[in-house]
Amino acid sequence: MPRDFSEAELEAYLDEALTSDEMSDIEAALRADPQLTRRLAAINGRRDAGLHTLGEIWRRHRASCPSREQLGSYLLGAVHNDVADYIDFHLKTVGCRFCQAGLADLKSRHEESQETVDMRRRKYYDSSAGYLNRGE
Amino acid sequence: MSASSEVDSLLIQRIRGGDSDAWGELIVRYEGRLLAFVESRVRNRASSEDIVQEAFIGFLNSLPNFDGRRPLESYLFSICAYKLTDHLRREGRRPAVPLSAGSDSGGSWDLPGNQRAASSIARSGERRRLEERAITEAIQEQIDRWKERGDWTKLKCIELLFVRGWANKDVASRLDISEQQVANFKFDFLARMRNIIRKQGLSEDVFPELYEEES
Repeated sequence: MPRDFSEAELEAYLDEALTSDEMSDIEAALRADPQLTRRLAAINGRRDAGLHTLGEIWRRHRASCPSREQLGSYLLGAVHNDVADYIDFHLKTVGCRFCQAGLADLKSRHEESQETVDMRRRKYYDSSAGYLNRGE
Repeated sequence: MSASSEVDSLLIQRIRGGDSDAWGELIVRYEGRLLAFVESRVRNRASSEDIVQEAFIGFLNSLPNFDGRRPLESYLFSICAYKLTDHLRREGRRPAVPLSAGSDSGGSWDLPGNQRAASSIARSGERRRLEERAITEAIQEQIDRWKERGDWTKLKCIELLFVRGWANKDVASRLDISEQQVANFKFDFLARMRNIIRKQGLSEDVFPELYEEES
């Protein structure tokens, strides 16, 4: 039986803010259920008309996300138990994709070779620096 | 302002002045998390790097319109999400969604409840930003207070209800509290938000969920 997605989850889907697995679940459901497309269109319409929901404001402004420094301390096991428990909840139960990405980045810094990282950064720089100051 | 926001703010100032070293520093600071964000969906390193590259170019193109009060990280993630969505649509993975449900929907894009139709309250972008800012500050203040007091259960409860849209009974079960407690936390939170809206003289119509249980 297909899962019944909440409005908040569908809003997060539109913002590309759910975990990868959840995003894929909704994409699969969208192919099978035209009603789900209508619900998403309804959210777009509601947003277009300027109605707010607390969840999307909370998510957009990342109101409860731990800071980068806290994520780093969490990774090292250097935060108080209560805080660690909350960060765990935020990452796994709420499934905050932005914090998951931040954590994955912090982890990969220990794993990737500096040469690979430098090459990638150089590529980004070379391809974008020409746009500096354009339109200012 | 946090130390991190101050660094961002200075970087943006220098980038606006055309400082290429500052641009390099911004890339170093943010590319890793943007790449992890994209790669979790695309599962292909080369394509993910291309999307992040497009996001950086998009950032520079949009810089004249960037509101410095907005956290840089959130702004970069939102550009990246947009580029990622575009990529997934081109790949046929992400179905296109129309802008609204259409005229035959019977106004189905209104939130549940008996609030008046949203189309009748369309208004300026400036007004919308003002409303959003007021609620953001109110939510942030509440979260900071919960964190300070160690009210982690309240924070988790409200986050599951509003950010994830879980039903009261599921939240109660997950947090091992009673449904009545969930209802009480929710009532208090909504009352606080309503109070802020009224105090600031903002339109109540644009926050329908705040008044669902009152109507």
